Amino acid sequence: MNTGQTCRRVCSGLAWMAGLEGGDTGHGWTGSGGNSLLLPSGSSQAASFGKCFLDRFPPDSFVRMCQDLRVLNAVRDYHIGIPLTYSQYKQLTIQVLLDRLVLRRLYPLAIQICEYLRLPEVQGVSRILAHWACYKVQQKDVSDEDVARAINQKLGDTPGVSYSDIAARAYGCGRTELAIKLLEYEPRSGEQVPLLLKMKRSKLALSKAIESGDTDLVFTVLLHLKNELNRGDFFMTLRNQPMALSLYRQFCKYQELETLKDLYNQDDNHQELGSFHIRASYAAEERIEGRVAALQTAADAFYKAKNEFAAKATEDQMRLLRLQRRLEDELGGRFLDLSLHDTVTTLILGGHNKRAEQLARDFRIPDKRLWWLKLTALADLEDWEELEKFSKSKKSPIGYLPFVEICMKQHNKYEAKKYTSRVGPEQKVKALLLVGDVAQAADVAIEHRNEAELSLVLSHCTGATDGATADKIQRARAQAQKKMEGLEEEPLETLPTEQW
Amino acid sequence: MAFPHRPDAPELPDFSMLKRLARDQLIYLLEQLPGKKDLFIEADLMSPLDRIANVSILKQHEVDKLYKVESKPAVSSSEQLCFLVRPRIKNMRYIANLVNADKLAGRTRKYKVIFSPQKFYACEMVLEEEGIYGDVSCDEWAFSLLPLDVDLLSMELPEFFRDYFLEGDQRWINTVAQALHLLSTLYGPFPNCYGIGRCAKMSYELWRKLEDEEDGETKGRRPEIGHIFLLDRDMDFVTALCSQVVYEGLVDDTFRIKCGSVDFGPEVTSSDKSLKVLLNAEDKVFNEIRNEHFSNVFGFLSQKARNLQAQYDRRRGMDIKQMKNFVSQELKGLKQEHRLLSLHIGACESIMKKKTKQDFQELIKTEHALLEGFNIRESTSYIEEHIDRQVSPIESLRLMCLLSITENGLIPKDYRSLKTQYLQSYGPEHLLTFSNLRRAGLLTEQAPGDTLTAVESKVSKLVTDKAAGKITDAFSSLAKRSNFRAISKKLNLIPRVDGEYDLKVPRDMAYVFSGAYVPLSCRIIEQVLERRSWQGLDEVVRLLNCSELAFTDMTREDKASSESLRLILVVFLGGCTFSEISALRFLGREKGYRFIFLTTAVTNSARLMEAMSEVKA
Repeated sequence: MNTGQTCRRVCSGLAWMAGLEGGDTGHGWTGSGGNSLLLPSGSSQAASFGKCFLDRFPPDSFVRMCQDLRVLNAVRDYHIGIPLTYSQYKQLTIQVLLDRLVLRRLYPLAIQICEYLRLPEVQGVSRILAHWACYKVQQKDVSDEDVARAINQKLGDTPGVSYSDIAARAYGCGRTELAIKLLEYEPRSGEQVPLLLKMKRSKLALSKAIESGDTDLVFTVLLHLKNELNRGDFFMTLRNQPMALSLYRQFCKYQELETLKDLYNQDDNHQELGSFHIRASYAAEERIEGRVAALQTAADAFYKAKNEFAAKATEDQMRLLRLQRRLEDELGGRFLDLSLHDTVTTLILGGHNKRAEQLARDFRIPDKRLWWLKLTALADLEDWEELEKFSKSKKSPIGYLPFVEICMKQHNKYEAKKYTSRVGPEQKVKALLLVGDVAQAADVAIEHRNEAELSLVLSHCTGATDGATADKIQRARAQAQKKMEGLEEEPLETLPTEQW
Repeated sequence: MAFPHRPDAPELPDFSMLKRLARDQLIYLLEQLPGKKDLFIEADLMSPLDRIANVSILKQHEVDKLYKVESKPAVSSSEQLCFLVRPRIKNMRYIANLVNADKLAGRTRKYKVIFSPQKFYACEMVLEEEGIYGDVSCDEWAFSLLPLDVDLLSMELPEFFRDYFLEGDQRWINTVAQALHLLSTLYGPFPNCYGIGRCAKMSYELWRKLEDEEDGETKGRRPEIGHIFLLDRDMDFVTALCSQVVYEGLVDDTFRIKCGSVDFGPEVTSSDKSLKVLLNAEDKVFNEIRNEHFSNVFGFLSQKARNLQAQYDRRRGMDIKQMKNFVSQELKGLKQEHRLLSLHIGACESIMKKKTKQDFQELIKTEHALLEGFNIRESTSYIEEHIDRQVSPIESLRLMCLLSITENGLIPKDYRSLKTQYLQSYGPEHLLTFSNLRRAGLLTEQAPGDTLTAVESKVSKLVTDKAAGKITDAFSSLAKRSNFRAISKKLNLIPRVDGEYDLKVPRDMAYVFSGAYVPLSCRIIEQVLERRSWQGLDEVVRLLNCSELAFTDMTREDKASSESLRLILVVFLGGCTFSEISALRFLGREKGYRFIFLTTAVTNSARLMEAMSEVKA
């Protein structure tokens, strides 16, 4: 006898027995629950008995058959009243059977079957619980709170249960409040938001979307809100949600500039409004009148924002623009859009020294920067004569080292040397080194008895040409060291390592 | 030189998988549009794309011509157009113009937009507003992590910094969370997490949510990366604003490393051509000097050159067989090394020319003074002169910011005068730049009414300017309650040095700034890793204004075993600098850790300033 036949025989015996005894011993399912799925003892005995005669009998089909029998037995109970044959049941499939139970609101039994058959939660228990919850929300006589609590107690965090689906059902029955309560249990904000929007709870949707940290979601709500509310209300809503506001501003910056302005206006954000007009003054406007007008608006806004600095700077810019325009008309060339500094430089380079001076005075360019400016411009022109005149016009506020420096930058050692004598004592060594006069630099450094300066000069001594100078410095150092007794002698060969 | 790792240091995971993944996904997306097509690529995506798929791969998948997405429209005759872009509104406009022009001309083509790393609703909105939503198909290419080096992953999102820290736009946080999620599915789980900053916290929470939604993937796997640390850039602007002096940082500051490679101009290559060079651990020469203080690099390179010469010289006196061996086995390697060596020597020379002038030393001196907080008056005048000399607008701005942050804002008088000088020099549009900097907290004014400032201004009326300056200094050293100053003291960021700091044998992370300053960001990471939590750092956290934004999430798994893991992932939100990377690599070598860096983009002071600057279009 092969195993297949054995199996069939044992099982058919079982089926018969189960069918027979099930009718007699059926426990009340819906009432006491639990143990009602236990196989009647007679069947199990028969089964076990049959099994004893077989070796290498695979238990799977046996177990499955037992399970099916138990299920059939359970639904055959007179409380349920679904007497199915085995083949009917197989034809129907368990899913459909469960659906039927659900339709008859036999939720506990359906759940027990699922658990007993170990169906995956998403297909089984969760689905049935969701059905139950959807039924529950239709019970109009129970208060919103009770329903929500009851549902949450039963469902908890069961995976695969979508609270938003249940909420949608509740909303479908006209129970908006209940729906909102249920949505609270929904862990995925992405699921909450669309329904909230549908229920016209846009503001709540907005805060939920922001909570989720998903900017796309926030954006969806924003555009929804924009269409739903009038402009004023929309802006007010944004005002309380900085994250949404900044998101919307970003969008407006590229897509709706005018709206951006309105937004700032609404908020009385004069600072940003000022910035907005400043940007407009060079990005949007072409004509000079338009630009000045934009700047004027900006300045007004800055005054309102109590930002006097910005207001003044903006007014200066208006003046400069007008002036540049005049310069272009009178002198030709390009002045518009140059900075003040570059405007003055351009004037000097064009030989309009008087105008440059006037401009510098009008706009109060500080002396130091003006000197740097003139110095650089004149050197660029290689107008050495004028430079010298300039250097003598009054005492330089930046000293004379820059003169040496800039001349050297233009590779004019001859001119540079003119200024070395006028460099203050503190920077003399530097100046002399710049023009390459190492010997004299050494003399000055020795005179100053300044160790740092000595080192600096020494580091500039190269090759044989400066050999004598180097010796001189070493000697001076040695002397200085003798004087300062108690100080440890510094090894001579250590040149100062440039450290930075 | 090039210190070896401790023998027990962990191995780095192999990140090349990320490249393969991105490539496969791109190919899949291209195949979705079968047949010949022209590909329009956004300029910012070109270099990252170049790192994972070359032109021949694109051609294999029937990409016909390549165009750059730019302001002027391109003329393409293909029947199918594919756009590979970042999700920006500007790009949507570009595409819309193209499609609408086709419509006007009565032409129908297929359009496909591939967003990288993800699609934003706002973009679809714009497509809809422009009336072409139905004409294009949209897809996402989730390419968010580009391995630039064995230990460096970059999201290549430089705009993250401006978007988040200036505009308050949080849209990239989702992208960060997705990237972390991807990393943890491939290389996870990450048992211990620490972080500081608002963005760090949000990203972390979002990431955790993602993990919870689809758990199970990493369960049961043994963790490799024991700790992950998330840090917002605004925790430490100071470090990012300093001039870099380790080789890699210096190369970045001087030549700009872009997407892991650099363009060396003719002055470096000593030919008439520019050369694009990949800078990573595979470059043997570079790998040995990248983390070195620049003062050591030259010596090292010349030593290396001598060694190389010696190796070449060996071929003298070889017999035929040995020579054959030499040519077939060693010569190629030597030649390669030779080439790299001469490149880096060229780069060094070029850097030296630009930097070793007196003014660079003065600049560094000023920076150090600012960091240590002495001679503030002098530093302020230095910055003023910097503007007077019209050295560089970005540099001047950087110094002003450094002064502001280290001093907790400028005193009103300086604030005003420096701004005026700057505006007059570089144009009024920088009024907006200053407004940006203020919003980001980079350049601020000390609150007026500060008692001392009031006293000070009275005093300065009584005495001459110079004396007033000294008094100001005295006052500020006494009572400036600057957070940076306080943090610096608490964390001991300015090492006390007796004698010269030996840059050849660094003893702490300060070596990346010539021994003058330990990068704050790195110090925070070091401290937290040492303590395995924020415990005992309450004061620092408070000073960073992050009382609620510092978090620790200790292991859910076997604590003892994960504790001992010494592979650490550091996430910089808003960018990190090469100096910080070098400093942490140093820390790793000291403590037997191995750091992996994930950054939104590699940054430096100039990039930060440019991100904040308003430029005329």
